[in-house]
Amino acid sequence: MSLQEKLDAYKAGMVAKAPKEALDIMHRATEDLRNSAIMEGVVKIGDPAPQFELQNAAGALTRLKDLLSGGPLVLSFYRGKW
Amino acid sequence: MELEALQEALPAIKSAGAAFVAISPQQYGFNREFIEQKKFTFDLLSDLGNQTAKAYGLVYTLPEDLRKIYLQFGLDVPKHNGDDSWTLPLPARYIIDRKGIVRYAEVSVDYTVRPEPEHTIAALRELQS
Repeated sequence: MSLQEKLDAYKAGMVAKAPKEALDIMHRATEDLRNSAIMEGVVKIGDPAPQFELQNAAGALTRLKDLLSGGPLVLSFYRGKW
Repeated sequence: MELEALQEALPAIKSAGAAFVAISPQQYGFNREFIEQKKFTFDLLSDLGNQTAKAYGLVYTLPEDLRKIYLQFGLDVPKHNGDDSWTLPLPARYIIDRKGIVRYAEVSVDYTVRPEPEHTIAALRELQS
């Protein structure tokens, strides 16, 4: 199964379980985001990547410039483990 | 789910000559728990207050009515992130080249839509060729 198929299956399970009222609120929040200007301000292809210095899971500081020392970097922004 | 898929794709990412890290606003203890639980072999960086996500233009605030639903579902964002701002990053996947330039950007306003890892790997191979 592809990642999107797994996500779609999870979503279908959620839609089957959750109260309609909750689903409506979730749906509206996504639509509001879609209709907002947020996408106009995101970093795009060709932009310089903003530098960062963040703690890894062991508490050690990790810098973008160090991550790029060996080649390109795939960077994923993730909401959370929940 | 996305990070599990990227873990599976990690050998292909590495063989294309790239590294992989993920960034989340969670406090690093929760990232450590997550890594241990899922046996991830990549790093998960802790972006407290979503400062880095802000620099990438990705941050949004969850509306009040949605916060209640998240809490009902046991999704305690303030506890995990260590602040009560209820801000999250849009899910995003980038490829940044050695010079620090963005060469691939997949950002979604709908958190239930994510690009396939294969799509990213194909872009990486093209970049490297």
